Amino acid sequence: MRLIPKEVESLWTLFTAPTIWAVHFLVCYVGAAVFCAKRNALGLDFITVRSGIGIVTVIALLAILGSGWLAWRQWGFGTHEPPHDEPSHHDRNRFQGFATLLLCALSFVAVIFTAMPAAIITECNP
Amino acid sequence: MSIGVASDARGRRERRPLKQLFLIAFAVLLSGCAGVQSALDPAGTEAEAVATLFWVMVAGGTLIWIAVMGGFYYATRIKREPHSERAAGRLILWGGAVFPVVVLTLLLAYGLSLMPKLRPWTAVAEEPALRIEVTGEQFWWRVTYHRAGEDPVVAANEIRLPVGERVVFTLKSADVVHSFWIPSLGGKMDMIPGRDNTLTLEATRTGIYRSPCAEFCGSSHALMVFSTVVMEPDAFDDWLAREARPSPGAKADGLDAFLRNGCQACHAITGTEANGVIGPDLSHVGSRDTLGAGILQNEIDSYVALIRRPDVIKPGIRMPGFHGLPDEEIETIARYLKGLE
Amino acid sequence: MSVLPDVLPEDTRSDGEREAQAERLRAVWKTPTGWRYWTAVNNTEVGVWYTGAAFLFMLFAGVLALIVRVQLSVPDNDFVSAEFFNQAFTLHGTVMMFLFAVPIFEAVAVIILPQMLGARDLPFPRLSAFGFWSFILGGVFVCGSIFFGAAPNSGWFMYPPLATSEEAGIGADIWLLGLSFIEVASIAAAVELIVGVLKCRPPGMKINLMPLYAWYILIVAGMILFAFPPLIAGDILFEMQRMFDWPFFEPERGGDPLLWQHLFWIFGHPEVYIIFLPAIALLAMIVPTFAQRPIVGYSWIVLAAVGTGFLSFGLWVHHMFTTGLPSISLAFFSAASEAVAIPTGVQIFVFIATLLAGRVIFSVPMLFAAGALAIFIIGGLTGVMVALAPFDWQAHDTYFIVAHLHYVLIGGVMFPIIAGIYYFFPMIAFRKLSDRLGKIAFWLMFVGFNVAFFPMHLSGLRGMPRRIFTYPDELGLNLLNLVSTVGAFIFAAGVLVIAYDMLRPKKKQPYAPRNPWNAGTLEWLTEMPGEDWGVRSVPIIRSRYPLWDQPTLMADVDAGRYYLADAEEGQRETMVTSVLSAEPIQCLRVSGPAYVTIFSAFALGGVFIFLTFHWWWLTLGSGILAGGGILYWLWTGTAIIPEKREKDVGLGLKLPIYVSGPKSVGWWAMFITMVGDGTAFGSLMFGYFFYWTIHDDFTNGLAGPGVLWPLVAAACFAAAWAAMLLSRAANGADRPQGLRLWLCVSLVLTVAGSCAGLYGPYAHGMDPTAHVYPAIVWIVILWTVCHGAIGLVMQAYCLAGSFAGRLTAEYDIDIHNVVLYWHFMLVTALATFLVVGLFPLAV
Repeated sequence: MRLIPKEVESLWTLFTAPTIWAVHFLVCYVGAAVFCAKRNALGLDFITVRSGIGIVTVIALLAILGSGWLAWRQWGFGTHEPPHDEPSHHDRNRFQGFATLLLCALSFVAVIFTAMPAAIITECNP
Repeated sequence: MSIGVASDARGRRERRPLKQLFLIAFAVLLSGCAGVQSALDPAGTEAEAVATLFWVMVAGGTLIWIAVMGGFYYATRIKREPHSERAAGRLILWGGAVFPVVVLTLLLAYGLSLMPKLRPWTAVAEEPALRIEVTGEQFWWRVTYHRAGEDPVVAANEIRLPVGERVVFTLKSADVVHSFWIPSLGGKMDMIPGRDNTLTLEATRTGIYRSPCAEFCGSSHALMVFSTVVMEPDAFDDWLAREARPSPGAKADGLDAFLRNGCQACHAITGTEANGVIGPDLSHVGSRDTLGAGILQNEIDSYVALIRRPDVIKPGIRMPGFHGLPDEEIETIARYLKGLE
Repeated sequence: MSVLPDVLPEDTRSDGEREAQAERLRAVWKTPTGWRYWTAVNNTEVGVWYTGAAFLFMLFAGVLALIVRVQLSVPDNDFVSAEFFNQAFTLHGTVMMFLFAVPIFEAVAVIILPQMLGARDLPFPRLSAFGFWSFILGGVFVCGSIFFGAAPNSGWFMYPPLATSEEAGIGADIWLLGLSFIEVASIAAAVELIVGVLKCRPPGMKINLMPLYAWYILIVAGMILFAFPPLIAGDILFEMQRMFDWPFFEPERGGDPLLWQHLFWIFGHPEVYIIFLPAIALLAMIVPTFAQRPIVGYSWIVLAAVGTGFLSFGLWVHHMFTTGLPSISLAFFSAASEAVAIPTGVQIFVFIATLLAGRVIFSVPMLFAAGALAIFIIGGLTGVMVALAPFDWQAHDTYFIVAHLHYVLIGGVMFPIIAGIYYFFPMIAFRKLSDRLGKIAFWLMFVGFNVAFFPMHLSGLRGMPRRIFTYPDELGLNLLNLVSTVGAFIFAAGVLVIAYDMLRPKKKQPYAPRNPWNAGTLEWLTEMPGEDWGVRSVPIIRSRYPLWDQPTLMADVDAGRYYLADAEEGQRETMVTSVLSAEPIQCLRVSGPAYVTIFSAFALGGVFIFLTFHWWWLTLGSGILAGGGILYWLWTGTAIIPEKREKDVGLGLKLPIYVSGPKSVGWWAMFITMVGDGTAFGSLMFGYFFYWTIHDDFTNGLAGPGVLWPLVAAACFAAAWAAMLLSRAANGADRPQGLRLWLCVSLVLTVAGSCAGLYGPYAHGMDPTAHVYPAIVWIVILWTVCHGAIGLVMQAYCLAGSFAGRLTAEYDIDIHNVVLYWHFMLVTALATFLVVGLFPLAV
């Protein structure tokens, strides 16, 4: 028996990109917060934080692009327009693909938003 | 609106009231923003930048609201034939997704770039020339001025600043969470037990500004206020030097009454044996803008009322009431305190 | 391949047969009468009670708001005392959030979700009833406190140290315990709704055909699982400090008031969307009906709901912009707060696009929808403003925020709910509400609202902090406040008109026509007047708007030509289908009326209420009664062995009645519950690491639990888990002796692990009142040990089941669910003991 049944795995594809956003967000926030709280003990410069955020951002964006490509494929590379409301396996798949693609786009923008602070803020405090 | 599009013959005459109306409305709006506690009547660099940001966002927001509700009105009440699903889909893409992304990206970049500008960390990097430590206590403010190489000066419920200089505040709390806020100068910063917060502000205009506690702190949260007095730098220096010395009135007649009734258990007056630290320092209380942390006029009657029934004036206050004392005794103390200038 | 027939076979039943079927069905689903009425568990009954109770709490909180407004109408007013004012606004916020906004979403969903899915009921009807009784008890307890002058008075977010101080009094305990109890009910509702959406859809309703309302409910219920547990964790810490002086939020002993702010807002911000999305979901049903066309941008709505659901968890610090956190931290949350406006914007444009592409009929629900948009967009725009930290530094904790949050909540929640009430009323009460009163109410509410709240933007920026009970004359706030008060009363008049319209006797009014708005979704199959059975037969769905696209559907459903048209065995039954494709997989028997739900809810309520007054023995007694009640409920009401394996549900389809493991709804309920439980545990662990970040030496030089005993505990729990796997395997191989043996082994190991876990901190003399480090170590260990105790009860329950013959190789729901519990138990135990044992060595 699986811990997570198979069906959930395929419903999960819908949540891939937002989950990547969430992980990226947490890594950035927790990383910066711990750095700022423990900077005396760490002895690192703030530039470390900024470049760290840059690196995870690139990784997150690539992962979202990958997920987006899979979604695009599931959607049939845009050969079928919405609304995908037929009671068929085909349309169900197209719908999932399209919704996933939209979520990838949103997550892509959200990851860029989350990374913007690192480009502008150059110190912990005040 | 109908006034402006009246018939041609009366057009000129009709337009004037509209213009006047607009001017009046604008004047009302501006005067509506003025005030000693108004974030929209800025007297500091941060408040200025934020007020500008606010007006820009209000203008943009108004346009967006009109456009969206106009679209809704058109879709529900005006159009006769349904539009194609394709056109409607494009509206979602461009109006609902692309437009917000562009606008929000620009707004966010602008907003974030303000943060280091408004509260530069360079100002606190080294020990500043003037640092003011403010501790929030239920329901008043303990204020200590720290200058490099000199003894700290203790005061309460009033903060004085030199105009045109960036001042560093260290913000603490002795009991619950309070929030330090001078709306005319800039945004607020919470005072949290166990944490020392730092805030820097730069005043650009002299004057007296009312500054309320901004985080709910108990019964008399509404009655916890201080005055911010922004002065010319020379006047400020003079004032602070005076503040560091005992008041000329410290040894006056009422001191005995003050000590006889145990006031020194909580209050301090420099130059006398009164050195309590529980309540506000009273060394120069007579010269403060207000009494009772921003809620009473600084006059004899206020002292009398406050000494007699502090719990009525300020629910939850820790000071006991002295209504058992004879009126003359209270008045003697009141006059003495008013004389501490 | 689908088992669903493309064409319905010819109906061969005689009229008499058909009527006999209907009669049996009617008897099975009959609502109890007389005083037994209150034992009902059917979704229509429970949902209506739930909605009515939430509405009453709303009126109560509204009266509090009017008191607040009267006090503020003129400067230096003494209409009420400072203390009463503080209780009034605290209770106003608390009641509106916890006793109106969240419950009303659950209540409405309980009523309409099963109807919308063509299901007879939700999968766990007694759980809904249990949730309702918990809610009403907790709600009355919290609200009643103000009549004794003992209401919470520290603001609805209860910041310590104010709320942990003497000054807060018993009100703080009432808040913490009363609401914790209600939060439990909310999580129960979330479990019910998720399983309902995923598993109880009608055959053929694939995930791309699901009504949008169901999408929103799925997302929102998922959000509850991640949002409410942090608050429960916070409540635990808070109450431990109040009751036993464990210093979680006290800086002198290493605690930090900010931890509460984090935990509260990790709950508090998603909470806003938890109440907003279901209300918008109502609009997503109303708008297509009145545009008389399918929604344009179905996928976009899914994007909006899912996107908002995720992003809403990255916003919490925007309530803490002024707490002095590093500016980079503020900036992240500023960014996410701006990003969340994107899906919200998409949502609004989907509605406008749908109206644009349709032929719009404008009636009262649409009027409220229009008002909702007009108000909510202003709230959204001010939300974009305060999401920028620099602006928030000024606006935070002022009346600008009061205005903003009311624009969001009244525009985004209240108006859509009233639109929904006007829209769905005929479905529930079989008569329409008055159009004329609806219009009057709308204009009173719309005008009153704006008159009340628009000026607050200005009073806030002119320096009026929120939560002040008075203000001086000379600040220029007089006129603004007076206008606000007048507006509040106009608004209240509108609410009263609606209350009157709902309650006025309608006996003389004719029944509404069936499907009165010509809507396209299944809930409008309801007959006028309706039957208790929900739908006469469970249909096969082939469209997003089946009533529009499947012309004979209504007649076929009524004729009982689809599934489950009969109740031969006298059991309440509904269909369970697969998650993505909605293929039928089970005929689920759901439970009927019962006292045990009321009993369990009141006994559990007793635990929380007695705890408030520190009546320890009563608390213990009540706890035992609650535990006993719940066990009795499970034993008599779940995993019942049916008289036959399979049942013919109609149309030649045979479905199993008893399924276990991931196919069963109970397994899903356990999985979902444990996700929420895991989140609460995660929040406690967050606390542990939070204290590490704020201190240079977070142990403060105090002894920890050592390494040995935590590792022993971890090993015991791991072994107990392994024994559970073995017991399940033995059961699968039909070796009951093996099952019992391994259960006993696991039981012993669980006891050993719990003892070892407790012995670590005990042996090292860790005093939880001395410093926050021992306190947080104790609390995570206690959490784990309590879960071990629950695991023990489950093991004993399985043992009893095995001896009683209700747990066998064939009928094995219980052991599957218990093993699932133990998977989570393993993760909890390993995380706890490895962290408390080894982390202090690592730093």
